[in-house]
Amino acid sequence: MLIRFWGTRGSLPVAPRADTILAKIARSLVAAGGRTFDNEVEAAEFARTKLDFATHGGFGGATACVEIEAGDDAFVVCDMGSGFREFGISASRRSAEGHPRVYHVFLSHMHWDHIMGLPYFRPAFDSGATIVIHSGHADAEAAIRRQQEEISFPVPFEAFRARFEFVVHRPWLQFKVAGLTVSLIEQDHAHGSYGFRFEQDGKAVIYSTDSEHKVEVMEAEDLFTAFFAKAELVICDTMYSLGDTVSLKLDAGHSSNIVAVDLCHDAGARRLALFHHEPSYTDADIQRMFTDTLRYEELVRGERPKLEVVCAYDGLELEI
Amino acid sequence: MDWRLRRDGERLIGAPVGRVDEESWRDFSAHLNAAVRDAVGASVPLVLDLSGLEYMTSKGLRALTMAKKEAAGAISISLAAPNETMRRILSISRYDMLFAVVDDIDAAG
Repeated sequence: MLIRFWGTRGSLPVAPRADTILAKIARSLVAAGGRTFDNEVEAAEFARTKLDFATHGGFGGATACVEIEAGDDAFVVCDMGSGFREFGISASRRSAEGHPRVYHVFLSHMHWDHIMGLPYFRPAFDSGATIVIHSGHADAEAAIRRQQEEISFPVPFEAFRARFEFVVHRPWLQFKVAGLTVSLIEQDHAHGSYGFRFEQDGKAVIYSTDSEHKVEVMEAEDLFTAFFAKAELVICDTMYSLGDTVSLKLDAGHSSNIVAVDLCHDAGARRLALFHHEPSYTDADIQRMFTDTLRYEELVRGERPKLEVVCAYDGLELEI
Repeated sequence: MDWRLRRDGERLIGAPVGRVDEESWRDFSAHLNAAVRDAVGASVPLVLDLSGLEYMTSKGLRALTMAKKEAAGAISISLAAPNETMRRILSISRYDMLFAVVDDIDAAG
């Protein structure tokens, strides 16, 4: 399986401002220390290898959208945040090269940041496309249609040319889609959200975002460690610090980096991708959170095998 | 994890020893909440002596939050003498912003 991250930000899309770009350039020039480069390729190689990611790159600002390429003929994607637009451009290009125009979308929930990409999803206007939206919510279709109502958007749902299907699934009951065995878990979030487990050839990928793990129900986390069990990759909501989730962000419906590490450790997962980054965080803030998470994993690892932690960014690809 | 509780003048000192992790957080939480009730009953602050603690995972930290709720502002809970690992965990989790943390147990409470 190949996992492509098209949107990794939480809540609201963000974009770097001119002063942010300028600061990155200034930091890079200082780091170069008067070194000269014959061409941009050489300069890019220096930046990539000698500067931290927050300086030479950035984590991106599109909201939740993660593609799972599983070798089947259909496209598989989790959530339709603003990253869904970019995914749609790529998918249209691949369809033009012969890829079947079937899309299986797994929707964690219908909050704005997880559906806002649909109005700009090019394949939705392709009469030869089929878009199947899988959800745990019985009201997913109503929410998607409502987003296209005139009060919110000028293009009605009926203007889409693709054939849409909405399929509602029950938690924990496995089903097969596009060569994957899929199951859902109900999560704590306003109006509820669902995490997904995708399995193929004995390997599992978890997509668990917008999920709060509350202090009062820590016993319930056993369900999550069972759901995450032995996963090759867990894509997990790590929006806040633990301290924030029990104070300022209590009941916001999100989790922390260190709870994600603990869940993965207890589940025997191999890799954790930090996901749903707080929109107010700068690249340096996210880099710091990533570094903190690596350190925490090391501090509490005990006798377990190392959990590999990566920090998801728009454009990241992971091979499973 | 072992747990020790003692009265030290006008404060109650609870001391977890070992690790607070997936295996032991329930015991830790039960001891901690009982100590909070004792401290509230005696109207004395509760000090957690962390000098014998190897580390604490998120469930242990969240047990601290539960204890704070149990105390409901009637007494203070402070953390004393964490080792370097625990100090880093308190910093990473931002729990050092939620609880008073002191190096010297004599300065706590």
